[in-house]
Amino acid sequence: MRTLWVLVLVALAVVAGARELVVYTYDSFVSWGPALAIKERFEALFPGVTLRWVAVGDSSEMLSRLIAELQLGLPTADVFLGLADVELPRALAHNVFQPYDPQRIPNLADVPAELIFDPTGHVLPYDHGYVTFVYDSELLPEELVPQGLEDLLRPELRGKIIVTDPRTSSPGLSFLLWTIAHFGEGWPDYWRKLLPNLLAITKGWSEAYDMFLAGEAPIVLSYSTDTAYSYIEHGSLRYRAITLGGEAFRQVEGMGIVRNTKELELAHAFLNLVLSLEIQELMPTTQWMFPVNARAKLPPGYEYALIPEKPVSLDPMLVGEKLEEWLNQWQKLLIGG
Amino acid sequence: MIRRRGASLLWAGLPLFVLATAFFLPLANVLLLGLRLEDQWTLARVRAVLADPYVRHLFSFTALQALLSTLVSLALGFPLGWFLTRYRFPGKRLVQAFTLAPFVLPPITVALGFFLFFGHTGYLNHALQKILRLQEPPLKLLYSLWAIVLAHAFYNAPVFARFVHAAWSSLDPALEEACAVLGVRRFRAFLTVTLPLLLPAIFSAAALVFVLCFLSFAIPLSLGGARYATVEVGVYLYARVYVDLPRAAALGLVQLLVTLGLAYLYVRGGGRWSAPQERLRPLPTLPFPSRAAHGLWLLWLLGSAVLFFGPIGSVVADSFTRPLAGRPAGLGWYRFIFSPEHNPFIGTSPLGSIRVSLEVAGFSTLLALALGLGVSGALRVLRSRALEALLMAPLAVSSVVLGLALLLAFHRPPFVYLSEKHALILAHALLFYPFVVRIVRPIWEGLAPGWVEAARVLGASRLRAFLTVEAPLLAQALLVAGAFSLALSLGEMTAAAMLSRGELVTLPLAIYRFLSARRFGAASAMASLLILITVAAVVVWEWLGERSLRHGQA
Repeated sequence: MRTLWVLVLVALAVVAGARELVVYTYDSFVSWGPALAIKERFEALFPGVTLRWVAVGDSSEMLSRLIAELQLGLPTADVFLGLADVELPRALAHNVFQPYDPQRIPNLADVPAELIFDPTGHVLPYDHGYVTFVYDSELLPEELVPQGLEDLLRPELRGKIIVTDPRTSSPGLSFLLWTIAHFGEGWPDYWRKLLPNLLAITKGWSEAYDMFLAGEAPIVLSYSTDTAYSYIEHGSLRYRAITLGGEAFRQVEGMGIVRNTKELELAHAFLNLVLSLEIQELMPTTQWMFPVNARAKLPPGYEYALIPEKPVSLDPMLVGEKLEEWLNQWQKLLIGG
Repeated sequence: MIRRRGASLLWAGLPLFVLATAFFLPLANVLLLGLRLEDQWTLARVRAVLADPYVRHLFSFTALQALLSTLVSLALGFPLGWFLTRYRFPGKRLVQAFTLAPFVLPPITVALGFFLFFGHTGYLNHALQKILRLQEPPLKLLYSLWAIVLAHAFYNAPVFARFVHAAWSSLDPALEEACAVLGVRRFRAFLTVTLPLLLPAIFSAAALVFVLCFLSFAIPLSLGGARYATVEVGVYLYARVYVDLPRAAALGLVQLLVTLGLAYLYVRGGGRWSAPQERLRPLPTLPFPSRAAHGLWLLWLLGSAVLFFGPIGSVVADSFTRPLAGRPAGLGWYRFIFSPEHNPFIGTSPLGSIRVSLEVAGFSTLLALALGLGVSGALRVLRSRALEALLMAPLAVSSVVLGLALLLAFHRPPFVYLSEKHALILAHALLFYPFVVRIVRPIWEGLAPGWVEAARVLGASRLRAFLTVEAPLLAQALLVAGAFSLALSLGEMTAAAMLSRGELVTLPLAIYRFLSARRFGAASAMASLLILITVAAVVVWEWLGERSLRHGQA
């Protein structure tokens, strides 16, 4: 009986033309990021359409929920926003997205080609940033501030560095990939020497940064915009981001249209809106990431956001191929293998 | 006798049916992925998973830390249960309610409390350095196995305290009095009479605590570091990072077999000591403190207060002291979370979050009690220890696997037609009724059958006999079970995240949103609010429950 009523209601809703675009993302995009502004703008552009954000968990939690829903044949999102570039092979392997149509996304013209990390045309970038180390200038003596990756191995820094787990956090994975890109085959050696200097390898970024703010250790793995954040939000330059030998690992975040959506038109309009100048200029102070639209201006205070001279990245396809092997090797190092 | 059995089975059939469709079938669906390979049944995946030396390392470490955590929780929780049973003192109900506070806190908040209190630069080290005039922090507790054990004890000692308290208060005081009359020394009387009668409750609690610690994930990683990973990290890795569900299911299956196997052993072990009880009046309590010997108690209480109130107090203190715009916040973070323009941070108003969380907790608790009683009743008739152990599955399964099972169950008919809120209420009831069973069953088992039979002989129906005879005798247990269920529901995350369609934001989800937005002070304020609401909800629940049960008894 109840089923029948629900069907009647659904039918009525369809007849009345109530349309909805469901977008999965990670929680900070909603709590912190420009989600609300995007919703207001989108609903103004398409009267009668509701944009619904579903954001309960981090990027990897939302992606795995999406994959599971697709595999189980359950109703799911129309768009997924918040795919880290290194996760691209996994998303492609599980056939999560359908290719976008560049014709229907005019704002794509303002996005530099080097940021379009998906050669297969499924996923578009919407912001980018750099994972690097941040130190507490009140706790760390000037002469101990690391200048290169090797400096993190100094015996004076024993138990003074906090990083996150590459298995459970995206900055953690970025750092592992950074060391692999930098040292090549020699990365396990580097990590073996680094381990005694790590006070903790936490599950996620929030725990790590909270510990750092509590003064448990003077160096933490975080983002290159942290100094700008600290300056713009708190007027303080106490916490300073650094590059190591001019390097920091580049993260590009992407969005794509989910394979079985029925709202192709709206989904394309959504991607186009996120790439618009208006929304892109919100990225620096909501996402604390750099915009991908080349015309977007950076706000005052962003001169403290570091742009590394030598951004480091690895081909996502290579990562997809080797990730399991690397993580296995990393795990063995942890237990002294 | 046969008719009674039939009626009881029917009575218990409904909850078991709901459990089967909403939980066990979807769970089996997910786990059996681990036994399939190209449409063939095979153990190949399970064997491959177990052949990995890292997975074996995870299993041995997980078992070790769970064992240590259970023992330390018992050592801390048992005296507290004794204390709560034996003595009365002003504010007792509040203290009791407070012991459930750790239960609702997201692991990330507990980790924060531990950094702030036990950390190298934490309050405790700070105080010790001042008192002892030391240069270096004297306590290096964190980032080791002991930090994990301590944090697990922080969560789980209250389980022992509550279980022991519930069982002890339903003992017949005549037993101890008889010992006193016979001149048996009190310690000997405790060892030979009281303790054996408490063993079922202790085993029951130990089974739960071991399982909870075995599945713990964020605490070992956050307080111990990646060096101290549990099996759950393996499941996470397969399911989330490699997105290889069959492999995750294979590992989840092994993990479930281990936890359920242990639960089974405990259930058997605990059952051996249960003995019928005929209780005529409640156990008398003594005022505290009233004697010089209570000084020792005070010292012990001070020690546990440091462990429990230290981290919680640190989070509360943090909500007032964490700088906001460069200055100590005072009430600033509370104003921040309640101000309308910051609501977009969590997608709802804090009051809305509180209302949703309380509504879900309240209704799911009532439902969990009903399910738990039905299932306990069925187990009294069926006497199947294997089934009893199996019913603990919602607590004994990896949260990653649980999330997938819930996704499968609640996104399909008939449950897909439930609103988001109703789905969450049902899911929480299904997740937390095992607590009800674990608390109620040992005590129900211990009730002498004579009373019910007498009532039946006098013409009472089975239901009436239950309501007038058994329910009042189970009152204490039901109150405790309800309190646990309330607290667990207020703090639950996996189901809340998996079933969310973007409408409900429960309090823990709101905390995570503030954390992910770097509003650490707001997260601490929200966590303090969650503690306050939990304590208040538990106090009101117990007060209402006691009143209505007293009323029913009269």
